Amino acid sequence: MAILEARNVTREYRMKAETVRALAEVSVAVERGDFMAILGTSGSGKSTLLNLFGGLDRPTSGEILFDGQSLEPLSSWEMSRYRLRRVGMIFQSFNLIPTMTARENVALALAFAGQGQGERRRLSLELLDRVGLLKRADHLPSELSGGEQQRVSIARAIANEPQVLLADEPTGNLDSSRAAEVMGVLDDMRLRDGKTIVLVTHDRELADRFATRVIRLKDGKVITG
Amino acid sequence: MKFADIIALAWRNLRQARLRTSLTVIGVVVGVAAIVTMVSFGLGLQNNLLRDALARIDLFTSITVMGPGTDALLAMRDQGQDGAVNDNGAGESKGEKSEGAASTTPEPSPTPTRMLDDAAIAELQSLSGVRYVVPNFSFSNYVRFEGRTRRAFIGGAPQSIEYNPRFKKFLAGHHFTAVGAREVVVTERFVSWVRSKKKPNENRRRRPGGPFQMAPTRSEEERAREANGILGKEIVFLIPREQDAPPSAVFGIPIIDASSSENGDFASEFGAQYEEIVYRVVGVLKAEDGFDINNFMETDMFIPLDQAKEFRDANRDPMSRIGEFLAGDTGYQNAEVRVIDVAQVESVKEEIRKRGFRVWSLTNQIEEVKRIFLIVNSALGLIGGISLLVASFGISNTMIMSIRERTREIGVMKAIGGSDGEIMRIFFVEASLIGLAGGALGVMGGWGIDRLADTLANRWILKQVGQTLRRIEFFSIPWYLTTGAILFAIVVSLIAAIYPALRAAKVDPIKALRYE
Repeated sequence: MAILEARNVTREYRMKAETVRALAEVSVAVERGDFMAILGTSGSGKSTLLNLFGGLDRPTSGEILFDGQSLEPLSSWEMSRYRLRRVGMIFQSFNLIPTMTARENVALALAFAGQGQGERRRLSLELLDRVGLLKRADHLPSELSGGEQQRVSIARAIANEPQVLLADEPTGNLDSSRAAEVMGVLDDMRLRDGKTIVLVTHDRELADRFATRVIRLKDGKVITG
Repeated sequence: MKFADIIALAWRNLRQARLRTSLTVIGVVVGVAAIVTMVSFGLGLQNNLLRDALARIDLFTSITVMGPGTDALLAMRDQGQDGAVNDNGAGESKGEKSEGAASTTPEPSPTPTRMLDDAAIAELQSLSGVRYVVPNFSFSNYVRFEGRTRRAFIGGAPQSIEYNPRFKKFLAGHHFTAVGAREVVVTERFVSWVRSKKKPNENRRRRPGGPFQMAPTRSEEERAREANGILGKEIVFLIPREQDAPPSAVFGIPIIDASSSENGDFASEFGAQYEEIVYRVVGVLKAEDGFDINNFMETDMFIPLDQAKEFRDANRDPMSRIGEFLAGDTGYQNAEVRVIDVAQVESVKEEIRKRGFRVWSLTNQIEEVKRIFLIVNSALGLIGGISLLVASFGISNTMIMSIRERTREIGVMKAIGGSDGEIMRIFFVEASLIGLAGGALGVMGGWGIDRLADTLANRWILKQVGQTLRRIEFFSIPWYLTTGAILFAIVVSLIAAIYPALRAAKVDPIKALRYE
């Protein structure tokens, strides 16, 4: 069974008078252990699909299923628990909280899960060690390089042990060597921990290098699957 | 997320915008300080007025029972027993103390239909919840002390003073030793009359007026020395002989009054008509600040109750005599009923009222005064509250600003699993921290203002009057005002945070996280 599935998903945005259709009856299934790359130009709807998978958004029609269960009936609170436990999100602009150190950023995710202070400290250091940033634990994001920041955000994404990592252009702000480094970390997550990875990118080369499956989106439709 | 973590997050957020937070808190401080100062002033006023009454619970266990006055009985006779009598002054005796209980107006209640005589006293005594009943009456009589004669107000006092607060504080000496003893307890009013001989120009010292009495401004030692000087001396009562009342009194106008009789040879003029009874001064009662029921302080001296009863009949003043002649015995003017428990005052009062007497107790007045002060304090609090209202807009503004700045952060929190409720709680906690800090500092500020104002006011009074009886506390900050003000500040802050918090919870993470 697919761990994540989009069934006939349409997502429309109402922009003043006109309605913009970001996704049009898209059906995609992500299998457990997949490293799926979603390719597409900007405006193709790839980020919209990722946000739907990540539980940040709900489809206008159709449904998203996680492990065979529809997300549709979930309440807002249940949806937040889904984001907390089931999926981990990684963003192009890292989205670390600038006033918190690397460790505190990771610990924040643990705090939302209700972990105690001591446990948070231990786990966050362990997670930073996982991404090779133990020494940078007490640095603010502004004191870290882009690659390091993205690795902190990966550590944060896996903090509550989700089965799926959703990465939205994670290397978009990085040079090629840093990008490879970050992709390596993600690939490692898949290989060592069996995480399922969904990667949104416009970088075809990167997709071909790491992905086990590639789909293309154009104008809100899957053109190759 | 644990609540402790929410507090930590909120605290961190506030600390990050220190200046803005401080300014917002100052707004709350001003508001709370204004409320505390205003209300504490009202409460201080109330306390200064009610202090003595409140401090002495025994004032509240007392009920004054009034029988019909002479004129009321006359009216009853004219109009029959249905008692359609003009209420004005009906309960007050027009007898011995014409200026008597005028300042303590009895509450409007049915005109008493029962006579307050010995039988009635016994009946009241049998009511449940009543500790004792003492008929209250005084009469005026000529007395001679150290060669001077004056007309004095003489009261009857019960032998047992166990529950009677009036006879608790003696400046010198003690209470009567026995029911039959020819012993007298004098008040400071009498003492000041004695003193007036020595300093003739000062003999009309400021007479205590109204129900609120201020203690003499002389020092305690001086007063005690004077009192001790009188102790053991003789006071001669000049009791008129039954058979021939002095003609001067028949028309209701005493020809000889206290002041004009000072140097006249009174005894030789009326000696034949008066019988002399010698009393010995055994105690001097201390005058006190506070509420003076039944114009206690207007009485010059007290003798044992039973002896006073005997004299009473011989000492009816002209008005009473006429009234008595027309209406029969008028009984006592009033009686003091003391209940065992404050809680029973109302039920006992009702019971006595049902039996046809007029009743009055201090609780009526206290309730009235308290009600007025509740209104005054509310108005003062409202004025202070306005400044807190202004501060609440500051809180809203601060929070909205903070949410605008932190939209992205809120988006991140939501993306990594923060729920709407948790986001909302962070902001509510931020607001209550502002309220708590502002409230606590505001209470301290209000306290500081109160202390300062108290000190300045007392200094000013000292300058104006030249002396003070004691330091006057113009402000009162009870614990409920302190906690109430802080809680109120928190509640106002929370209300101010409702809109910002809802707005924070509604932040769309997708929009918030869309790259810069």
